[in-house]
Amino acid sequence: MFVQPFLRFAALLAAPLLAQSIPVTEHTLSNGMRVLLVERHQRPSVACGWVVRAGSANERPGTTGIAHLFEHMMFKGTRTLGTRDAARDAELNRLQDLLQAQIRRELDTLRERLRRGEIADMNDPAVRSPRHQDLLRDFERLATEQRALLEKNELVQIYTRAGATELNADTTSDRTYFHVTVPANRLELWAWLESDRLLNPVFREFYTERDVVMEERRQRVDATAIGVFEERYRSLIWQAHPYHWPIIGWPSDIAQVTREQAQEFFATYYAPNNISAVLVGDFRSRDALAMMERYFGRIPANPAGVPPIVTTEPPQPAPTRLLAEADTGAEVVITFKAVSGLHRDAPALEVLAALLGGQTGRLNRALVRARRSATDVMAWNKGLKYAGTFVVFGVPAGEDRSPEVEAQLLEEIARIQREGVTERELRKVKNRFQMGAFKRLEDDAVLANALAEAEGAGTYRDLLEEPRWLEAVTAADVQRVARKYLVKESMNTLVYSRKSAPAREGK
Amino acid sequence: MMNLGVPTLLMLACTLAAQPIPARPELLPVQPLVFKAPRARDFKVTLRNGIPAFIVPDPEGQPIVRVKVLYRGGSYLDPAGKEGLAALFGNQIRRGGTEVTPVDELDERLAFLAAGVHGRCGATSGSLSLEVLEKDLETGLAAFMEVLTRPAFAQASLDLARQDQLQALAKRNDSANSISGYQFGYLLRGESHFASAQATQASLARITREDLRAFHARILHPANLVVTASGPIDPRAFKAVLDRTVGALKPGREARVSPPVPAPTFTRTPGLYLCGKAGPQSVVALAVPGLRRGDPDWPAAMLMEEILGGGGVSSRLMKRLRNDEGLTYGVSTRLEPGTFWKGDLLCRFQTKNRSVAYALRLVLEEVEKLKREPVGEQEFSVARDGLIQAFPSRFSDAESVAGLFAGQNLNGQPEDYFLDFRERLRSVTRDQVREAARKYLDMTRMVLLVVGDVEAVRQGDAKDHPGRLGEGLGLPVTVLPLRDPSTLRPLP
Repeated sequence: MFVQPFLRFAALLAAPLLAQSIPVTEHTLSNGMRVLLVERHQRPSVACGWVVRAGSANERPGTTGIAHLFEHMMFKGTRTLGTRDAARDAELNRLQDLLQAQIRRELDTLRERLRRGEIADMNDPAVRSPRHQDLLRDFERLATEQRALLEKNELVQIYTRAGATELNADTTSDRTYFHVTVPANRLELWAWLESDRLLNPVFREFYTERDVVMEERRQRVDATAIGVFEERYRSLIWQAHPYHWPIIGWPSDIAQVTREQAQEFFATYYAPNNISAVLVGDFRSRDALAMMERYFGRIPANPAGVPPIVTTEPPQPAPTRLLAEADTGAEVVITFKAVSGLHRDAPALEVLAALLGGQTGRLNRALVRARRSATDVMAWNKGLKYAGTFVVFGVPAGEDRSPEVEAQLLEEIARIQREGVTERELRKVKNRFQMGAFKRLEDDAVLANALAEAEGAGTYRDLLEEPRWLEAVTAADVQRVARKYLVKESMNTLVYSRKSAPAREGK
Repeated sequence: MMNLGVPTLLMLACTLAAQPIPARPELLPVQPLVFKAPRARDFKVTLRNGIPAFIVPDPEGQPIVRVKVLYRGGSYLDPAGKEGLAALFGNQIRRGGTEVTPVDELDERLAFLAAGVHGRCGATSGSLSLEVLEKDLETGLAAFMEVLTRPAFAQASLDLARQDQLQALAKRNDSANSISGYQFGYLLRGESHFASAQATQASLARITREDLRAFHARILHPANLVVTASGPIDPRAFKAVLDRTVGALKPGREARVSPPVPAPTFTRTPGLYLCGKAGPQSVVALAVPGLRRGDPDWPAAMLMEEILGGGGVSSRLMKRLRNDEGLTYGVSTRLEPGTFWKGDLLCRFQTKNRSVAYALRLVLEEVEKLKREPVGEQEFSVARDGLIQAFPSRFSDAESVAGLFAGQNLNGQPEDYFLDFRERLRSVTRDQVREAARKYLDMTRMVLLVVGDVEAVRQGDAKDHPGRLGEGLGLPVTVLPLRDPSTLRPLP
């Protein structure tokens, strides 16, 4: 066997190796759309994306889930793409909307009957009135006629044929991001297709897509062991702020959202002055900018701008607890209210989370290794656009050890509040952040995503500055934010325990 | 720039603002883009002890170096009664410390450098990998070699990992998805074949430090290993580095060349199988026998599967089940490459319990259509051109290129497989796609598993889409018992 002696590690406080700054070219189009370009010629492709500053936080009760449903609608085509007869298609959409308005009245009646206890489930086909059933049949007829005219998923097919990959979109509480990677010779195709769907979208197949999203909700939430509890926990943490409802929306709202509401959402938020586009990859910036102006510059701005979110979460007056008996093993989650990701204390909280969590973090040493009370522990800081949370988490080593794990998680936090942290720990986690900054630069799509994410919450400059802010965090900062934010009043605890012997499953 | 012989595209600087925007995207001018697939032999070297290494430089990349040792071996070597051994080894080679460095100290040193050494072991192969900043390469590599050659398998770490595994086992029946995972494996390959065998409380309890040590001693034979390296490195200089380290390994007394991977001998019983799990949605999985990647039918079968359900939202199943009917968030198919035996064509979706029978009927209709009528030119070219045009993305970074070649080498697949991949796809005709559908979509040989609310599944959607599950198929319907999560014995 051949083994080299293990070399001593680098001197304790060696000068940090900071990642190079990202060479971003920034430009604002005449209609207010921001464009960020990062030219890199390693690969013959371009990672393209655009982020719209709207997510579930921009919804209101009754239309929860619309931002995400909307993300789906943006793949349904335009006046040019997606149908063989744009005029008849528009007419069929109008007729469907009229029928749906009548169907909603039937549903209003069913809701009333549900309140009176006359029926148990308003979605059970057996409770529909004959008229309701007729309306559904008429609707299906229109949908069938429309389907015969559709060029299904034409947008996707054009992209696929051109060799595009990673075509997708995702919605968070704060923003919606549409992305794709195209071969370097197809950048103009991207500009054509994306500006077309911002300029002339048609939300066809709207009502079927609602059902798709209902199935997505079942798959992600209702049919999982802990989905509905996670949802409840979120609502417990956020009482007033729109973070209160789930991104995918409440089932009742998804089922009843209308195309008219979707149109309004689009007109308000999907305006170029509320969008940033990001390109990372193999192109020439000068040509790309001219192309962007030509394609995206033609989209009219929304002069009214976007209504600000004024609801602020009031200070939490007392800790809360949620005890969940579920089809899952024991878990302890403690969530403190913290700060927005843009807040000047966010970097110190990120450092604190890294110190507590991770393979060599304090929680792992204390709970997993020394005391053997937990098999897994984590800590993370989640700075969203408007507010944020700080979370510690543990998986007890036995079903009955949750109280012990909960106490020890809090004890490790208290220890930092009392004694602070060491310079060595601080250096260790800062080194990890630096590695993260290098890794972010390795992949065009990852970098585009990070820039878009920063634009969605604030500005891309936040991303550029982040390594410097993290490097500047001191031991005193870490102790200060631990004392300031990780306090009893702002604490929300979720304890999972296994539901005792289930009833005979599924008959 | 990765030296993959990729000429950077020359974009024509046009006077853009003056040009009108074409009415349709097809009217856009397209500059040709030439991409030559990288060749394994351009990156391959043989280390002093005969181990093949794939060194892929990325001179303009970030200052991160990655080295990986892959080995042939995995759960297919687990002795009966010790299921879970290889998986535990995969993680414990790193998590159990070394003979000279206890795991806490090892963790701390690597964490301080923000370096990572990670072990994993799957069904037929495993790996140990290093990721380190260029400036710390020497230190990182020394730690990596120490872990690779002198793991200690500390008892405390093994106990912790075992407990972790036991907690995972306890969650086996917590979701329809995880129930579907183990039950489907049993239906396809039986309970004893390694690809579907599962660890139990008893099998985990039997695994000792000695078992891990013996597995390590057995695996560490140069004939079982393949190495990859990528990053801002000079191939020649780095070969010398590898020769000094991995290339100096010699087979120990207990080292054995890993035997071939055994194919399943189980005889399937085609049919519809139901397994109860309360919840709003069922998980549906089905399989019909497929083929191997080296089969002359492969390119046609691949396109057939892409059109049926592999091509994301453009596929026929997605159009029908998701777009037209709103029955599911996603339905997808997969054609297993059949690395060691003929793979299957698999299909998966989730839908509310009442809709399972109807959704299955639609799947079968789409299958029949594909067998009956030739695919349309448009649909065919979307699938074919998509795969051809997206081909370069398979080689998007040095690490994946090295990994692709190493994987083929480890699995005994031809190393120039991808060189004429695009030509093979281009030669497929629409008739061949239909032939592949007729040959491989034999639904009388289907194994279908539904995990959900059995009663609601049986009832189906009586009001809107009447019809019973699997009507007209003539396949038997069997209700499977849930199994005890710890022992996997059927529950009464």
